[in-house]
Amino acid sequence: MMPGVYMRWVACAVLVLCGGGAGLRGQDQDARGWRFAHPDYTLTFPRDHGAHPAYRVEWWYYTGNLEAANGGRYGYQLTFFRVGIDPEPENPSRWAVRDLHMAHLAITDVGRGRHRVAERLNRAGVGWAGASSDTLRVWNEDWRAELDGDGATHRLRAASDDGAIALDLRLLAGAPPVLHGDDGFSQKGSAPGNASHYYSLTRLPTDGTVSVDGETIAVGGLSWMDHEFGSSFLEPSQAGWNWFSIQLDDGTDLMVYTMRRLDGTPDPRSSGTVVGPAAIVRLTADDYQLVPGRVWASPTSGAAYPVGWRLDIPSLELQLDAAAAVDAQELHTDRSTRVTYWEGVIDVTGTRAGEPVAGSGYLEMTGYAGPPLSDVLR
Amino acid sequence: MRLFRWFIGRHLLQHPLRSAMTVLSIAVGVAVVLAIQLANASSVRGFEVVLDAMAGRTSLEITAPGATLDETRLPELDWLRAYGLVSPIIDADVRLTVPGDGADDVLGGDVTRLLGVDILRDRPFRDYALADANTPTGQAVSTRDFLDLLTDPRAVVLTRRFADDRGLTLGDDVGLLVGDRERPLVVAGVLDDVGPARALDGHFALMDIAAAQWALDRIGRVDRVDVRLKEGIDVAETEARIRARLPAGLSVDRPARRGAEVERMLRAFHFNLTALSLIALLVGLFLVYNTVSVSVITRRGEIGVLRTVGTPRRVILGLFLGEAIAMAVVGCAVGAPLGWVLAQAAVGLTSSTVSQFWVTTAAAVPPLDATSVGLAFAVGVPLAAVAAGVPALEAARLAPMAAVRSDDHLRGRARLPRRFVIGPCLLFVAGAGLATRGPIGGLPVYGLLAALAVVFGAALLVPAVLFAARRVGDGPLARWLRVEGRLAQASLGGAIPRLAISVAALAVSLAMMVAIAIMVGSFRQTVIYWVGQTLQADLFVSTARRSPVGDRAGLSEAAERIIAAHPAVAAVDGFAGTNVPYDDTVVVVGSGRFDVLLDHGGLLFKAPADGRAAMATAVGADAVVVSESFALKHGKGVGDSVELATPAGPAPFRVAAVYYDYSSDRGLVMMDSPTFARHYEARRPAGLSVYLRDGADVDLVRDELLAALGRARIFINTNATLRAEVLRIFDSTFAITYALEAIAIVVSLFGVAVTLLTLALERRAELALLRLVGAERRQIRRMIMIEAGVLGGVSQTIGLVVGTALSLILIYVINVQSFGWTIQFHLPVTFLVQSTLLILAASVVAGFYPARLAGRFGLGGLSVEK
Repeated sequence: MMPGVYMRWVACAVLVLCGGGAGLRGQDQDARGWRFAHPDYTLTFPRDHGAHPAYRVEWWYYTGNLEAANGGRYGYQLTFFRVGIDPEPENPSRWAVRDLHMAHLAITDVGRGRHRVAERLNRAGVGWAGASSDTLRVWNEDWRAELDGDGATHRLRAASDDGAIALDLRLLAGAPPVLHGDDGFSQKGSAPGNASHYYSLTRLPTDGTVSVDGETIAVGGLSWMDHEFGSSFLEPSQAGWNWFSIQLDDGTDLMVYTMRRLDGTPDPRSSGTVVGPAAIVRLTADDYQLVPGRVWASPTSGAAYPVGWRLDIPSLELQLDAAAAVDAQELHTDRSTRVTYWEGVIDVTGTRAGEPVAGSGYLEMTGYAGPPLSDVLR
Repeated sequence: MRLFRWFIGRHLLQHPLRSAMTVLSIAVGVAVVLAIQLANASSVRGFEVVLDAMAGRTSLEITAPGATLDETRLPELDWLRAYGLVSPIIDADVRLTVPGDGADDVLGGDVTRLLGVDILRDRPFRDYALADANTPTGQAVSTRDFLDLLTDPRAVVLTRRFADDRGLTLGDDVGLLVGDRERPLVVAGVLDDVGPARALDGHFALMDIAAAQWALDRIGRVDRVDVRLKEGIDVAETEARIRARLPAGLSVDRPARRGAEVERMLRAFHFNLTALSLIALLVGLFLVYNTVSVSVITRRGEIGVLRTVGTPRRVILGLFLGEAIAMAVVGCAVGAPLGWVLAQAAVGLTSSTVSQFWVTTAAAVPPLDATSVGLAFAVGVPLAAVAAGVPALEAARLAPMAAVRSDDHLRGRARLPRRFVIGPCLLFVAGAGLATRGPIGGLPVYGLLAALAVVFGAALLVPAVLFAARRVGDGPLARWLRVEGRLAQASLGGAIPRLAISVAALAVSLAMMVAIAIMVGSFRQTVIYWVGQTLQADLFVSTARRSPVGDRAGLSEAAERIIAAHPAVAAVDGFAGTNVPYDDTVVVVGSGRFDVLLDHGGLLFKAPADGRAAMATAVGADAVVVSESFALKHGKGVGDSVELATPAGPAPFRVAAVYYDYSSDRGLVMMDSPTFARHYEARRPAGLSVYLRDGADVDLVRDELLAALGRARIFINTNATLRAEVLRIFDSTFAITYALEAIAIVVSLFGVAVTLLTLALERRAELALLRLVGAERRQIRRMIMIEAGVLGGVSQTIGLVVGTALSLILIYVINVQSFGWTIQFHLPVTFLVQSTLLILAASVVAGFYPARLAGRFGLGGLSVEK
């Protein structure tokens, strides 16, 4: 679920705006007509790579750690969000806002400590943003992520308006999607509808180019893709979260997150998934411990982010230390959506059953900065 | 300098009334010129300010000439992204109503400029400052917040000024009048005074593009696409590249282009107003000439003394020029603020002409600044110096001894110098020649020069006329007015050279008045005839008293059905028009049902001879009938082909006929409704002409239709009320012309009074002598008033003759070149007779004060002077 931390805020805003998820219309949809995630729903591909407009919130989330031939290291994040505003607008105009489409692009140049961000915010209008319902094809103006006809290659393309950052990548989907939670049904809260459908492609060999400050570099490495959709899965008591995607050199991938509650207590809905070379292990909140370490204070937002973490999964005899490859990897969207979060490249080292392991990944931390949640949620 | 103070200063102070009148006349002249300049400038500037505020940071606009853009074509323009940001725009002049506000007035509502934008894309283009109340404290409004505010299809954001003026707050209901419908809206936000909200005195409303499309019945269409180029891109080069790549039917322009178009459209109008205002100045300058002449003549003795004691000629010249400049400086100082005040009145007139053509503008006269004051001085002072130059040179040229003798200063010449006959004749010939030349850049420059030649010719001819009048007047004056008449005649005859100047000033103003009266009278008569011929329908249905072309909402289909279904209705014809760029300007392409027009009459054809038959060939064809002003301005005649921009690219149309139209000088191109529908987008008519069956009661049908239409916002004129309305508009349009003329006449009557006063003062001794030989005070007064009346009469006579000549130039040269209208010559006899009597009366009144003063001269006058 994680990438969408920030998404959820928006989702929540919609929720509060529309009178909340309390007024359920039957079991399968909310008061406005958005469908709830349901345990009986079966994810099938490539169909479920596509959009699910019946649900309020949806995102496609790509991150990756890439290397250039000269040894330069780059991280990238390309995210497409869709937030439902009104499932059946009364206004027949094409411009009537059924969904809001957002996209974020960030590139980290680890070697030079640079982190560059761009965003897009559009309504569908005359097709300036949208997503196909039958396969993976999502776009926001000229930014796009799509699955090739072969069904195995993801193509990502995005560039900032000023041309300062850009990416053009090919991702190979080798392994089948990893379904989180219960066959992809991820329960988020106590109410039956508070859930999402969530899967990941955890290891996508990648090649192509990235551009930073106008310089285009040929790169190769590993990507991670998340796709999640649902209509109601954030509780107002939650302040934000910490989310990790980690790709270890031994071929193990893992995703864990902890919810951050306003009152500071741990949230029982925190969970994770470990994708070993042989088997998939699902973690509940009791199965692991995440302890924050070194703190970096953002000069822009003033927020204090833990940029070092220790992850302990006793059942797997796995102990990992995650550290931000660059401290300053904060994103601001003050003018467009007023959400601020930290999303960036991490280096991972540790031991597994006493043997050393290493890897890299992405960390997302939300709820640390910006106006009080109550304001944002209005 | 001391000499100046002693020689001129003292003199000016000794004749305070004359000095004051001269100063005042300069002030009025300068004020009128300045007022017209300010009013013209602010009406265009008002438009440009609005344009700037509305355009914001837009670099280029993509439009479909004569139509709106089909929004499904926008993806074809995705390549524009390489050049910068893109924002689709809905732009409309709408009327907003506030509940409980003039609810009975079907035409109510404040005309307001409405922009419908996709706020997600438009924020980089324009500044919108949502007032605090809408947003969480201390936070800049995020685009997302803004969008939330606008997504309700009924949400509208108004300006702080508009909301405060009408006591509106968030959540209040307002109505949006669209054609004959009213759409309910809710105030969702209030804008502070930046960006588009600062223009139009707060008459600006913002909606979401979707909501605006729905409310305005424009689903699927956008008015234009704004482009903001990336920083540092060459605009001209990019514009050319974009133009080359745009699909047919789309064009790209800079927002400022519309300001230039408006300026071009108003140029002829402004040019003529300026020319008119110069007349007031001209009259003022005549008075300067007059005053300095009087000053020179009355002080020949003093000049002689100065010259004999060795004062050089150039000092004499400087002294009199200095006198004129001193008066001009004071006059300009008074005239500048006066002009600014007059401009306030004039701007309403000129800017209403602008908005008639285009969109709502709120023109305001800018505060009086150094530039305007500078303009006043730059116009007033040098011209006054030139006007004073002739008499001042004459003074400088005086031989010392001749001046000292001071013997002939009031003696009239017995014979008229020949130059007073030859000069005017040459000018009249020149005028006639100039009148035959064509316009320069659409402006009747030669026509105005011709008018000027005639005016100066007439002024120069005045002495000759006065000589002739003396001879002719010999008998009658003595016979009818006995001894006072004879005396008046004698004293006038003796002062012809001096009187000529005042009479010329008055005669010129009167000639202008006569000319304008004839021109306007002829025009009015022509319009009455045209209205009689073309307004054939019994009822005229409209959604506004004067709906601007481009008010796309128009009359709803439902309303048209109800009207057409009425049993007394025989036929219905709708007019819809759109603005189309043509030859650097904008013409109106209109559509009407030619079959109905042919059956029921309606157009008055100029060419060919059988216009109706020619029009019949245009039914359903790619052929048009064009208005006379279009034909003249663009040099098109019957059988020619005009290429009009259409949404599918330029298309040729055959000109089937040319018809008279006086409703607009912009140029109208009319095509049959099916032809229009084929080339342009379908459009609801802005108004309907309704033809009733024979014997139907017009007023009854009108009432029944209004009742059947129920709550629809519709206005129905009967034939009679519409004709009255047309004339009302006509008269109000020419009100400013009359106002300017009245000012010129008042100024020149001042001149007559000043001259008579001077004459009386100079003849103190003579008048005293008359008293001595037994003349009564009453008789002296009578004599002076007779003199005044004679001067008025002579002036008006010249005015009538020259004015008629001028009116011919106005009607057949200046009007045709500026506006392209054929006006049938018509003498407004009643008006001319009335004005003649009025002028005679007024000039007698002008003689009243000098007469009273002269009557008071006692015998003392003799001893003082000699």
